Amino acid sequence: MTFLELTEGPLWYVAATVFVVGAAWRLLGILRFGRKPDLSVPRASAAGGAIGAVIRHSLPRHGFAERTAYHIIAGYMFHLGLFALLLFAAPHITFIHDRLLGVSWPALPRWGFIVVAEVAFAGLIMLWVRRICDPVMRQISDADDHAGTWLTFLAMLTGCLALQEGNDVLRGIHMLTVEVWMVYFPFSRLMHAFTFVLSRGYMGATYGRRGIAP
Amino acid sequence: MTAEKAVDAFLGQIDAAVASYLESCVHCGECAEACHFYEVTRDPKYTPTHKLKPMVRAYKRHKAPFSGLRRALGIAPSEVTLEELQEWSPLVYDACTMCARCTLVCPMGIDIATSIRKMREGMVAAGVAPQGLVEASERALEKGSPLGVTLKALKKQIADQEAETGIPVELDKKGADYMVILSAMEVLGFPEVIGALSRIFKQAGVSWTIPSAGFEGTNVGVQLGSRDIARELLARVVNAAETLEVKYVISPECGHAYSALKWEGPNLMGRPYKFEVVHILELLEQLRAEGRLRTKGKDGRRLTYHDPCQLVRRGGLAAQPRSLLHQVADGFVEMDNAGLGNYCCGGGGGVSSNERAEELRFKAFAKKKEQVDKLGGVEAMVTSCANCRNVLEEAVDEYHMDLEILGLTELLAEYLDDEAA
Amino acid sequence: MILSRLWRGLAGLALVLVVAWAAAAAWTGALDLDHGAWAQNQGTVPGNVHGTSNDADFWRQIRRGMPGKVSIPNPQAGVLVQSQGDNWRAIRNGPVLFYGGILLLASLAAIALFFLIRGRIRIEGGRSGRTIPRFSLTERIIHWFVACTFILLGITGLFLLFGKHLLVPIIGKAAFGVIANASLQCHNLFGPLFIVGIVAMFLVYLRDNGFNMVDVRWALKGGVLNSGHTSSEKNNAGEKIWFWMAVLGGLSLSVSGLMMEFPWWPTLELLQWANIAHVVVALGLIAVAFGHIYIGTLGVEGALEGMTKGEVDVNWGLEHHDLWAEEVLAEIEASRTKRRSDGYVPGVQQGSPAE
Repeated sequence: MTFLELTEGPLWYVAATVFVVGAAWRLLGILRFGRKPDLSVPRASAAGGAIGAVIRHSLPRHGFAERTAYHIIAGYMFHLGLFALLLFAAPHITFIHDRLLGVSWPALPRWGFIVVAEVAFAGLIMLWVRRICDPVMRQISDADDHAGTWLTFLAMLTGCLALQEGNDVLRGIHMLTVEVWMVYFPFSRLMHAFTFVLSRGYMGATYGRRGIAP
Repeated sequence: MTAEKAVDAFLGQIDAAVASYLESCVHCGECAEACHFYEVTRDPKYTPTHKLKPMVRAYKRHKAPFSGLRRALGIAPSEVTLEELQEWSPLVYDACTMCARCTLVCPMGIDIATSIRKMREGMVAAGVAPQGLVEASERALEKGSPLGVTLKALKKQIADQEAETGIPVELDKKGADYMVILSAMEVLGFPEVIGALSRIFKQAGVSWTIPSAGFEGTNVGVQLGSRDIARELLARVVNAAETLEVKYVISPECGHAYSALKWEGPNLMGRPYKFEVVHILELLEQLRAEGRLRTKGKDGRRLTYHDPCQLVRRGGLAAQPRSLLHQVADGFVEMDNAGLGNYCCGGGGGVSSNERAEELRFKAFAKKKEQVDKLGGVEAMVTSCANCRNVLEEAVDEYHMDLEILGLTELLAEYLDDEAA
Repeated sequence: MILSRLWRGLAGLALVLVVAWAAAAAWTGALDLDHGAWAQNQGTVPGNVHGTSNDADFWRQIRRGMPGKVSIPNPQAGVLVQSQGDNWRAIRNGPVLFYGGILLLASLAAIALFFLIRGRIRIEGGRSGRTIPRFSLTERIIHWFVACTFILLGITGLFLLFGKHLLVPIIGKAAFGVIANASLQCHNLFGPLFIVGIVAMFLVYLRDNGFNMVDVRWALKGGVLNSGHTSSEKNNAGEKIWFWMAVLGGLSLSVSGLMMEFPWWPTLELLQWANIAHVVVALGLIAVAFGHIYIGTLGVEGALEGMTKGEVDVNWGLEHHDLWAEEVLAEIEASRTKRRSDGYVPGVQQGSPAE
């Protein structure tokens, strides 16, 4: 079994299982605590508030937009870039078609991939360098924050290193780093990719029924 | 031993919502940009999410998904210690007014204010709550009011107001439509509000009363972070209302009182009320809309409105005070971030009853001052929370500002057209 | 008139045909060259054709870089043999590599020697416990952004430059092929980010990096090598020189790097010069960066926090950048006095003024 066969075969299945089961376990673990029904008399809909909050907290906020512009810009650069790479890189589409869903869609051209990768890396580096030199972020950051950033960086980097698609070892290294990332994901703060719906949703529901849109 | 009590109390507060708040923080630090305590000191320890740290650690060690696995592997966060809780006490009590401004800016939508409220339960259990608040809660339990306002004192104030307005106030009137409760600060510092209500209600033809037991609206239990105390204080109001068989209880011009009575209350009691809770602003706005609040003339001064946090961000009352103000004021101007994003006075959430926090509270007022200064030439600031009003008055004195602080109800009563009744 | 036009047209056509034929001949000849064994066995010169041209002259011209015409969009492909390429390769793989390697080793050795002699430069007066703001958040963020990309580019660039000689003997050609391929991708990817960073760095740091007499005095006294006290502003002469090296070197790296990232734009000759310049400047910057990193971390106690937390100890400031530190302290005092006279400021203002 070659290195690539190992990383695209058994290791991939192990990582995918840990990722799916782990993330589901963690989400269900949070939901399982449940919530007592709120006995106060509502003024408006909780569901509407929840949906509104999920949308609203993706957007810059009036009165704060200027103060938080750095995070908004870098955050959007990184996240949009990451999702574009994840969903529209040609090898990813082939992988998704062949291994996962059996459907495919148009891929980014090579120059498009490179532009998106530049933007995503710039965003990620901007977020991380602020973490090491902003007193507030230094105060609240822990090892998990750095580990998550670095693993994401490495997964993206190895993907770009394999850009020529001419070398099995580079492809295998990318697969391996992505698998490490996937195994780390459910146990780390990377889970915010899912839990943001819960926190925004619960907050939005709480205040939505009071007729407030924080 | 006491740290264990705190941990138990922390864990007892966890439901799916709080768990999702404690799980989701990505440590971006945006919340600091919304916190007046951080803004005026630039000290990173005042970052709102940092204030929750001991509770997050307890949760991640004992209750979070995979916590068992983490403990087995020896990689769970260490146990919360008493020293740590003592260190956090000023962060949780002195440097947080539970104003909820941080939630607005949080990309994860974390309700930090509510989490702080829950965290204070553990701080009380560990005995690290500030002396000032503990004493206020003891006074509330023993004497019926955090400021030690007795029924005798209330009756004296009512008698004065009756003499002033010539309108009698009937205590304990069974079957009245509305039951008015007051905050201790109003009774002691701003008794004119009683006279104002008498006149407004007389004109509008509202049937109302004040209970002789359970007239205190302030709920120190909610500020201190003790469900038991909060429930006991609340029960006095609920019992009074249900004994007097009133249809509505009017929450006074007080921020936490409204949250405690309207939103947290039924959940503390474990049952819905047999009456409805309305805030005085809601009732006044309703009377105005129905044409039952008739005024004459307008205040020509340049004035602005300070939104009490608990009313605007956690209570949902932003439109009412503005519409009422327009009724009686010509020169009404809005501050930057007015409404949902307005700055706290600096003394909510029990901070004003906590002597230890006084210096920081005055410092935090700098943000309010900034807002007011930016408007330029403002002569008066109107608000609808007796606690805000008191905190603002003290701060304006400290800063030698020339700014009058007004209560909205009294301002309305001043322009009431008595002859129209 | 018509005749002359016709004549010129025919002549042009003839020229095109000749060149095309020559190119075709050259191409087939080149293909033949690939069969080295065959060529040796036969012992004949490739392109062995008879006609109007002399084979030896023909190949001499090609060897001297005579361009032919090609139908693909890149006209430079018409040059079959670019002799300067040999010179370029000889320079890059010869003196540049050799002296460049020596330069990096010398830099490390000098740092080690300095450490052995001077040791860690401590804050003499100890920490005062009070801090003053040194670099703003913007300055810090840009510094680390440039640092991140510089390190990524430096490591991958050194792989590309020295790998053939240092890595191949250890890990073999196949493995180095993987590393080289990956390094090139990484280098091309982060290059543009470095350009953005260095431009931002120039704009933000410029105001503190103008030279004046203080710098001359500082340099004459021996700068960091002097163990006595030398007055300095926010940046001493050494730091200012490093700033200008980084900016001008970065600019040079940017231009030469862009040429190599888009190689169809410049001429081959320009590309070769760009490559040599890129390598020389990069080696120079890396050698100095070793020193910069040493001074910023191990070498000088209390220096790193200026770039992480943004604040340095007052004693550190007074010892290393006295003129600047005194200015900052005076500013803080003045703003305090002003706020006091403006109105009541509750309590003691802690920390620094807001950025």
